[in-house]
Amino acid sequence: MRKPIQIAFLLIALTLIATACAAPTPAPAPTQPPAPAPTKAQVAEPTKAPVAAPTQPPAAKPTEVAKPVDIELWAQATSTQAPAPPDDWVGYKTIREKLNINLKYVIIPTAADGETKINTAAAANALPDFFQAVSTTNARNKLIDLNKQGLIAPVDDLLKLMPNRVKTHYNDPSSLALAKLDGKQMAFVEVPNLPKREGLVIRKDWLDKLGLKMPTTIDELFIVAKAFTEKDPDGNGKNDTYGLGGFFDDSWGQGNRFAFFFGAYGVPDLWDWDNTANFGLSVRNPNFYKALVEFRKWNEAKVIDPDWATIKRDEFRIRWPQGRYGIMWEDFCALACVANYPKFDNNFPTGEWVALPAMKSSASKSYLNDYDGTGSFFAMSKKAADAGKGPAIAKLLEWMASPEGYYLLGFGVEGVNYKLDKSGAVTTDGLADPTKAWSHESMARFTQMRNQLIYDNNPNEVLARYPDFVTDKSKKPMSPMVFYKFFSTQPWQDSVAGNLIINPANRADLQRFYNENFQAFALGAKPLTDATWADFLKALDANLNAAKWETDSRKILQDAGVLKK
Amino acid sequence: MSHYVGSPSLQTRTLPHSAQTQHAFAERVLRLGRAMWKHRWLYFMLIPPMIYYLIFRYIPIYNAQIAFKEFFALKGVEGSPWVGFQHFETFFKSFYFNELIINTIVFSVAKLLLGLPIAIILALAIHESRFMFFRSLVQTVTYLPHFLSCVIMLGLLLALLSPSSGMINEVIKALGGQPISFLTSPAWFRQVVILSDIWKETGWSTILYLAALLSVNPDLYEAAEVDGASRWRRIWHISLPSIIPVVVLVTLLRLGNILDGGFSQIWVLYSVPVYSVGDIIDTWVYRSGVLDFQFSLATAVGLFKGVIGLALILFANKIAQRVAQQSLF
Repeated sequence: MRKPIQIAFLLIALTLIATACAAPTPAPAPTQPPAPAPTKAQVAEPTKAPVAAPTQPPAAKPTEVAKPVDIELWAQATSTQAPAPPDDWVGYKTIREKLNINLKYVIIPTAADGETKINTAAAANALPDFFQAVSTTNARNKLIDLNKQGLIAPVDDLLKLMPNRVKTHYNDPSSLALAKLDGKQMAFVEVPNLPKREGLVIRKDWLDKLGLKMPTTIDELFIVAKAFTEKDPDGNGKNDTYGLGGFFDDSWGQGNRFAFFFGAYGVPDLWDWDNTANFGLSVRNPNFYKALVEFRKWNEAKVIDPDWATIKRDEFRIRWPQGRYGIMWEDFCALACVANYPKFDNNFPTGEWVALPAMKSSASKSYLNDYDGTGSFFAMSKKAADAGKGPAIAKLLEWMASPEGYYLLGFGVEGVNYKLDKSGAVTTDGLADPTKAWSHESMARFTQMRNQLIYDNNPNEVLARYPDFVTDKSKKPMSPMVFYKFFSTQPWQDSVAGNLIINPANRADLQRFYNENFQAFALGAKPLTDATWADFLKALDANLNAAKWETDSRKILQDAGVLKK
Repeated sequence: MSHYVGSPSLQTRTLPHSAQTQHAFAERVLRLGRAMWKHRWLYFMLIPPMIYYLIFRYIPIYNAQIAFKEFFALKGVEGSPWVGFQHFETFFKSFYFNELIINTIVFSVAKLLLGLPIAIILALAIHESRFMFFRSLVQTVTYLPHFLSCVIMLGLLLALLSPSSGMINEVIKALGGQPISFLTSPAWFRQVVILSDIWKETGWSTILYLAALLSVNPDLYEAAEVDGASRWRRIWHISLPSIIPVVVLVTLLRLGNILDGGFSQIWVLYSVPVYSVGDIIDTWVYRSGVLDFQFSLATAVGLFKGVIGLALILFANKIAQRVAQQSLF
């Protein structure tokens, strides 16, 4: 009897050891449909370049003898709901055949999780060859940290190896300057996703139902929000609507979603950019106090979804298509693109969102919001530079800006995922299988790099990315670009130079103190009077040394020529 | 000393004693060797967890030296320059230090003091149940929340507690009351965190107590029943004393983690309005250390927590030894 027990123990122990020592199991087979299998001819045949497309890069013939260069790229995904491209993706195959590069593309998470991944890899000296320097506060600060650690390498020499990409992607010297440290270009600054693309929208069908006129001032907007909350604008007999919906995005103070309140008073950003004579934090400006009083009024009147301090973006984007809000701040594409609008249209075929201009107030200037306009920073690790991978990275980036790379990584395989019309514009009309269209949800994994490294905002591309469409349910014609054009032509405060400002060493405590007090005032947890506000400002300096940060920031901006000395 | 060494009479007396000691030691080693050989398969099974602890718990302690250094990834742990207690000072002098310590201890102690008796009561109730099906059902239902991620828990809590659409607030509104912002109100946040943790972990915690109860000799219960002891008496005089060693063990081990308030749960649930009652050491370390690239600071705080935890375990172990005659070692 003892022997079988011993044997059983031995087997269990061996199994445990084997499991512990086994190599990581490969990721389960993706559930998404496989990549459209292109024919050899499709892969080998370069697509025709449209008029607006970049020109062909210098010939990149695969050498038969040279060993392929391994490049690991970490970047965020364009579609966070879709997985990474599969191992047999035509993009990998083409890059291997044409550039002699074995590309490994790793998707990193968004926001703080992405920053944590980069930071922990940096601490272990395990940064990939080429990566997106993700930051929740300031990408330049991330570069400064990595540069101080000696973990990244200058890319000045690489720029010379990619003349076409410099023309299409790195053509803005002021943008590139944001990634310069000690006179060296420490990262590439990619093309920002369409600038000034968010704005304030309102339910016009609710306005019409309640007989209200389109608001133009913050006071009128409040009256409308109150009516949307209290007068059952959807007519369902339930008290289930809010005038305004939003969420806090972990930035400073009011965050991006409620910045329009402060924009109405001329102070939408953390920094008071209009006060060049005595530049500092916006909280020093009396108009900020007025805006906060207004914001508090809205909270006390319960016309804002009270979950705004708790919920995140995903929950917010579940709620507005359910018809909970009458006014909100939203990205034009998240609102009106073909992938997003139908959720709302299916629930409310007669519903209609229209864009609102920047709200006016008693202040002399008003903005829709501030615009800090940087694209993503992509850096090369020191390890990659030391291993001589720089030229291969440059070759890859240059190829991504060539017609072949641009279309393959931005839209997929020609004839399968997209077609080019007579004017050279990308279209999905006439595809044999519409579910294989590049814009179809199931194809998103094959163009995951498009927003980060591929698109350059040329007019044909913008038309292809944000096409007009007719909704399935209400048969309503929709044009996302109408919203975009409206938003982008509103007054925005220029805060691009804010990227130069360096976070203080006590950034986390200072931000917490600032945000905590801001929200306590806004939500009514703390009385908001001249005296309590003055106490808050005094405590900012006395406890968290905010005044020193302002002085340091002023000097940085003066040295950079943004402010006069 | 030389007097004794030079004394033949003393030498003759000490030599046999030394030989005796050596012999006794050899005997003990032999006995241990025999016992180990007898249970060799159990010792063999001990190897994988020991390897795990060695690799993931002991070897990393070497890297804790970066708490006293300005860590540079390129220079490595050894090559980074020493800075003494600078990072400890940064933490101790940080604006929110007192609040962080208080919040952490409040969450930790409350979860321990409230969670422990509830888990014991549940284990006793399951153990006393006569219906096997009901017993299995309760066990399964109470274990399940343990496997839910904190993000799912947030979804459930929002569905229950949201002031705009939460089920509990719907009831409050239906009864004519004003909705309560449970998750953003400093007055409610701690209760939500502690109760949701108890809900999530109680079932899982009962496993240890149930195992202890199942190891009680059934003859004791039968004898007590024959002697006319009621069910309450049997619980009080047999079940509870039987699980006291486990309770002491669990409490001592939890004391070692007294400065862990439950990072993932609080990170997901908290928001700016409740930082004053919700921010704990680990969430601060994440913001200041990990996100702001101050890994030496993060390590210093981790070391501080470890030292406090170790001191508490040693102290509590001594107390348990004296008061309850139970201890870890």
